[in-house]
Amino acid sequence: MRDVKKIAIPEYDAVEKAKRHTFALITAAREAIMPLTFTIHYPTERKLMPKNFRGFILFESERCINCWQCAFICPANAIRMKKAPDNRYYPTIDYAKCIFCHFCVDSCPRGALKPTKIHDVAYKDMEEMLTLTDKMIEKPEVHREDERFVDYVLGEDDATLKRERGKDDFFVEVPTPPEVRFVSRCVQPESCLGCRICEGVCESGAISSVVEDGVRKMRIDEEKCTGCGLCVKECAMQILTLVRVR
Amino acid sequence: MATARDASGASASASVAEAVSEWRVRLPEKPFKDLKYFGNLKAKVIDAGICSRCLTCAAVCPAPEGITAVDGVVFENWEEKCLDCGACVRVCPRFEYEPKSGLGEYLEILAARSKRFSGQDGAMVTEILASAIEMGIIDRAIFVGRDEAWRTTNFHLREIEQLSLKTLRGTKYCYSTALSELREAVLRSKGVGVIGTPCMVSGVKKLREEFPLFREKVKISVGLFCTENFHWEELHAFLKEKGVSFEKLVKTDITKGQFIATMTDGEVTFPVSELEEIIPSGCRVCTDFAAVDADVSVGSVGSAPGFSTVVVRSALVKEIIDYIRRNKYADFGNVMLKVVNKMVKLKKKREANIKK
Repeated sequence: MRDVKKIAIPEYDAVEKAKRHTFALITAAREAIMPLTFTIHYPTERKLMPKNFRGFILFESERCINCWQCAFICPANAIRMKKAPDNRYYPTIDYAKCIFCHFCVDSCPRGALKPTKIHDVAYKDMEEMLTLTDKMIEKPEVHREDERFVDYVLGEDDATLKRERGKDDFFVEVPTPPEVRFVSRCVQPESCLGCRICEGVCESGAISSVVEDGVRKMRIDEEKCTGCGLCVKECAMQILTLVRVR
Repeated sequence: MATARDASGASASASVAEAVSEWRVRLPEKPFKDLKYFGNLKAKVIDAGICSRCLTCAAVCPAPEGITAVDGVVFENWEEKCLDCGACVRVCPRFEYEPKSGLGEYLEILAARSKRFSGQDGAMVTEILASAIEMGIIDRAIFVGRDEAWRTTNFHLREIEQLSLKTLRGTKYCYSTALSELREAVLRSKGVGVIGTPCMVSGVKKLREEFPLFREKVKISVGLFCTENFHWEELHAFLKEKGVSFEKLVKTDITKGQFIATMTDGEVTFPVSELEEIIPSGCRVCTDFAAVDADVSVGSVGSAPGFSTVVVRSALVKEIIDYIRRNKYADFGNVMLKVVNKMVKLKKKREANIKK
């Protein structure tokens, strides 16, 4: 019982007491007139979302190399690749399944899939939720009711809300990821079956084969190879790999 | 260690520094120039009646849903689906058939009985592969299991504890499809062990010769002493007629010229010569009793009841046997080589069935 400390109410002198009482009265008055509620008055107010907010996903088709990484990585199996008139496959997203994890956005090697700050998405029926590629390219129609945006400001011993008039831009400028060039190469050519599944699956026509003198000659054109990795995935003997080139 | 099959890695052992953008693949000669390679295989081996149903072709076939075994070896719609790569022809032991025979080369021959496991005789196939897993030589072994009707199934053994499954041990006298799963096994593991009849281990030898991937990863091929195998449908029908009830069947054995089907409540025995009429054509042209192409051959012939004869052929298997000896995992006995040689000679007589 010897180590128990007694907490005593601090003794303030008259000046200190006066200061503290005044501060309390000012706070009370301020709260009565202009209460600092933390409740965000949605939809008139919106919280300022960070730039990388995981909202509705947009698509820039010119950047796409058809590697199918987005479809492979989606944990909800929400991405289906669909053939376009140019005979290439592009992603479509089923928002009935999408969990907005943005693994697809993160895994895209060219930054073709982009985040936006749109988080309220409304549909009239289930079928509409399957968003086709062209609906991912064009910016969706956004109906806004907000007039202000708010953000938390953390001080030393207090947190306050900062309210600002104006609308936060939903469409974010995504910097182009630095292009790291990869090309496909064969690490164990003696194990090659010569099945040409790699040639068949190549989207950029980089892999070719020719039969000459009773031998099948395989070739990967590194200028054409986009490093998408589809051949690496499909190789029956798993002898292709992506190699970084400078 | 399972090898991840994603776009950023390869399971091959060569380093990235040696990766190439141009390479060549050997194309075997086509005896039938206007047919795709599977068509050639079909004409020269399957339709010619010498296909042993080893399924080495299935081990390499890259076509999705390519080669399978139904009544015999088939490739549905091969005229369109065959990728014409030639791999099947390169590895088929019967395409350019050179019949193997004799006892083969070996480092030592012994008779042994596992103290840890029970099996057909000495359970040495199980003991050798279990020890290999313990030693870290392999991390996967394709065992042959069975269903209630005694159709063979494939079981990829990863841990010794899995051997408590009784159906994994003991002889099943019908075709195994183990080799059709060998490529997937090899891609997912660092070292693989496989069990097969003499035709299957000859197929494994060819896989190792043709493709470094198999040479590096298939560490142990266990061959079984074999006179012939049977199609499940035919053997099942034959045994049923003999009064065998498959739900109660616990062991099938061929020993001293008798086929013995042991059930929980009785036994059905008959001379094995009665099975002559259902010996498949592919087996009639086989002269290899002792599985000469295996890393180790195991069988009941030549050792006492309850013991297995083990013919050690590779240095790696010798290490495993030494490990078994050191750990006292098995009892050792005497081998009666005379009997083994007698069976070897007998099977060599099938040479006469091979058309020149």
